[in-house]
Amino acid sequence: MALLTLFIIMFLLFLMVRIMPGNPFPSERMSADAIAKKRAEMGLDDPILVQFGNYLKNVIAKGSFGKGSSLYNGAPISTVLPQCMANSFKIGGISILIGTLIGLILGIAAALNRGRFWDTFCTVLSIVGVCVPSYVFMIFLQYFFAYKVTIFPFYFDASRFLSSSVIPALSLSLFSMSTVARFTRNEMVEVMDSDYVLLAESKGMYGTKLVTRHILRNALIPIVTVIAPLVVDLLTGALVVEKIYGINGLGKLMVDAISGEGIDYNYVLALGIIYSALYILIMLILDIAYGLLDPRIRIQAGKES
Amino acid sequence: MKKYNKIVALLLVAAMALGLTACGGGSSAGNTLNVMLSTNVMSLDTNLATDGDSFEVIADCIDGLTQMDAEGSAIPALAESWDVSDDGCTYTFHLRDTKWSNGTPVTAADFEYAWKLAMTANVEYNYMFDSSVGAVKNADAILYEGADPSTLGVTALDDKTLQVELEVPVSYFPSLMYFPTFYPINQAFYESLEDGTYGTSPKTFLSNGAFILSDYTPGTASLSLTKNPDYWDAARVKLDGLNYQVVGSSDNALTGFKNGTLDIAVVGGDQVTSVKNDAELSKNLQVTGAGYMWYLSFSQTENNANGYLANQNLRLAFTNAIDRQSLVDNYVMDGSLATYTCVPPQFAASSTTGEDFSANQDRFKDVCDYNTEAAVKYLDAAKSELGVDTFEFTMVFGNNEGDEVTKVAQALKEQIEATLTGVTITLAPMTKAERLDKMQNDDYEIALTRWGPDYADPMTYLGMWVTNNANNYGFWSNADYDQLITDCTTGQYVSDYDARWSALLDAEKIVMDEAVIAPLYTKANANLIKAGVTNVEFHPVAINRAYKNAQIAK
Repeated sequence: MALLTLFIIMFLLFLMVRIMPGNPFPSERMSADAIAKKRAEMGLDDPILVQFGNYLKNVIAKGSFGKGSSLYNGAPISTVLPQCMANSFKIGGISILIGTLIGLILGIAAALNRGRFWDTFCTVLSIVGVCVPSYVFMIFLQYFFAYKVTIFPFYFDASRFLSSSVIPALSLSLFSMSTVARFTRNEMVEVMDSDYVLLAESKGMYGTKLVTRHILRNALIPIVTVIAPLVVDLLTGALVVEKIYGINGLGKLMVDAISGEGIDYNYVLALGIIYSALYILIMLILDIAYGLLDPRIRIQAGKES
Repeated sequence: MKKYNKIVALLLVAAMALGLTACGGGSSAGNTLNVMLSTNVMSLDTNLATDGDSFEVIADCIDGLTQMDAEGSAIPALAESWDVSDDGCTYTFHLRDTKWSNGTPVTAADFEYAWKLAMTANVEYNYMFDSSVGAVKNADAILYEGADPSTLGVTALDDKTLQVELEVPVSYFPSLMYFPTFYPINQAFYESLEDGTYGTSPKTFLSNGAFILSDYTPGTASLSLTKNPDYWDAARVKLDGLNYQVVGSSDNALTGFKNGTLDIAVVGGDQVTSVKNDAELSKNLQVTGAGYMWYLSFSQTENNANGYLANQNLRLAFTNAIDRQSLVDNYVMDGSLATYTCVPPQFAASSTTGEDFSANQDRFKDVCDYNTEAAVKYLDAAKSELGVDTFEFTMVFGNNEGDEVTKVAQALKEQIEATLTGVTITLAPMTKAERLDKMQNDDYEIALTRWGPDYADPMTYLGMWVTNNANNYGFWSNADYDQLITDCTTGQYVSDYDARWSALLDAEKIVMDEAVIAPLYTKANANLIKAGVTNVEFHPVAINRAYKNAQIAK
């Protein structure tokens, strides 16, 4: 099922990329003949289905996304992609960890202190976090912690990965942190009002055990559902943050592939496919996670089959 | 539930602290220069590279037969000396003893290999070999008629002697040799690599120049070079290395310079104004020529705008309605020069008299000036010739070609509409790639476009307006002009430098008289250079910045 989805997505992507305006071989200095030759080399003059077939063959049989047309002057995508993926995945991963962790803590704190300081604090923070774009927060962090006080590098520096990923990771985590905090609070509040929590409390259950075993566990399903797409977003890079902070990641690569000198079909396609594949994979994991988190889903699924 | 508060607060603090853990940053000390690049380095393959930033990094690492001195003249580099035959058609370069960074010697065969590779590789700059520029023997036949690449007029006579045969004498040939397309490539190394990976990492790149590539991946925002201890001229190189940082926006560049992360930065627009207003920062400002000229291209075919722009008076009306000084003072603001000649100033000087080709910007005052009266007169003439009273034109421009371009386009619309009653300009912003695509397919009316010189001769601009030249986007055609240019490239003027020079001036006059294009301004770079950094050389052609003599005062 997942593979079929991916196949359909690949085909649609392939069509859309071919329709996009722009020239894969922008050149002011090459003759029309030379450009025609380049197009022929890349098979761009073949019927679209033949092109797609060849592309698919290349991706599946050789595991290769081919060569770029204009970006990096036609270097094989395999020389460029791994570094970008590593950077985006690492920074995205850190920001997810930070975002989820702080978000959960904030949400729990708010739910347990409904109507009091922590609750208001958490609500305000969530609103700010959702409203303020991550790159604005990043520029703010950059200004105070890399310019006013030079704790962190002003631009991304791969040789000091940890210290230079703090600013982008923190700013990227803001959105997921706020989203997670808001959902955690709301779900927990709902669960806390339910009869079974009242029953548990009346039976003398309290404290950490009650929160983790009964309240949080029941609240986790919706929370995990919102985290999943955030994970893909963060892993595949943040366009603006990467561009401003100078991170060689997937987001920046996408911008360069589309709005560089020319449009680079193969890079756009490769990135689209990676994004879709990741999305599908995460959704698959999500489905499995549901069952683990909630026995009711497991039993339901068992009955149906 | 008070109990939780403490736990929560503690956890929160812990999480924040975890997030903030980091080692303190400190910029790399000593003799390493931190330099800003405006765009990604697209390729370090000398054959494939097409952009100025890539050329700069390549030239840091690889020497050609010649290199530029501070003024941009060709001086010996890998070639210790060269002889020219009496007819000016044969150059014999004598190479010095130098090594690639993998220890193999640089030989004449490396040049022969690289040049012949450029012939087969279908690359952008192989036109530098053809009769319009370098005129290397048989280049035209190979590139355009399918002749065998091995017949190219370049031969390694022995390890240290390279002979180049030309179709006609080319007075500026030694200065072409500092252009990366003419740099050597080591055959054994190149062929040991997987196809397409040459120059994509320090491992797949060989250097023979002042610096060695130490950290680079395609698309990286930061790359670093270290001094090459085995460089033939190592004594001259004072820097220990160079760190390049790609910075996309001007305000980010200015802040980076202010906090010391960048030693050399380029700023534009509003940042230039704020630098000029700052007593301390303005001392760091140095304006240098960027070489390329912005101009308006008019499509003169029937396909576009009813063919109205084929009317010479209409084009002259445009060129006289533009206040170029206001464009550079109020919109570009980085020291760019208002330009009234179709060959921009400050990149091509006569080798006999030393005079700049376009030093005199008043030469065409009668046809190209900010003169609203003349503009109206030309417009009235055009209206009666065409029998039309109102004109609507679309002007395409790239919105990813620099912060100032959109502002300039808007200002042009205002200026033209204010002076030329009845003319309406619609602005069509798009990416540079789309703009080029439209121009190449003759699907535009007016375009705001630019051209940078590839070599230090007026021909790099004048060659474009020849009938059927790929860059003649206006499809203008004039037999007299074509003849003049042919006389200069392959005809009667090839061996008479001064006659050729004055023929080129005549050719320029035709372009201006007929307003083939409307020149606007010659771009400058507003550089910020840290106090104590000296002898960075800036050039408007080929290699924009060179660091071989650069020093940092202790």
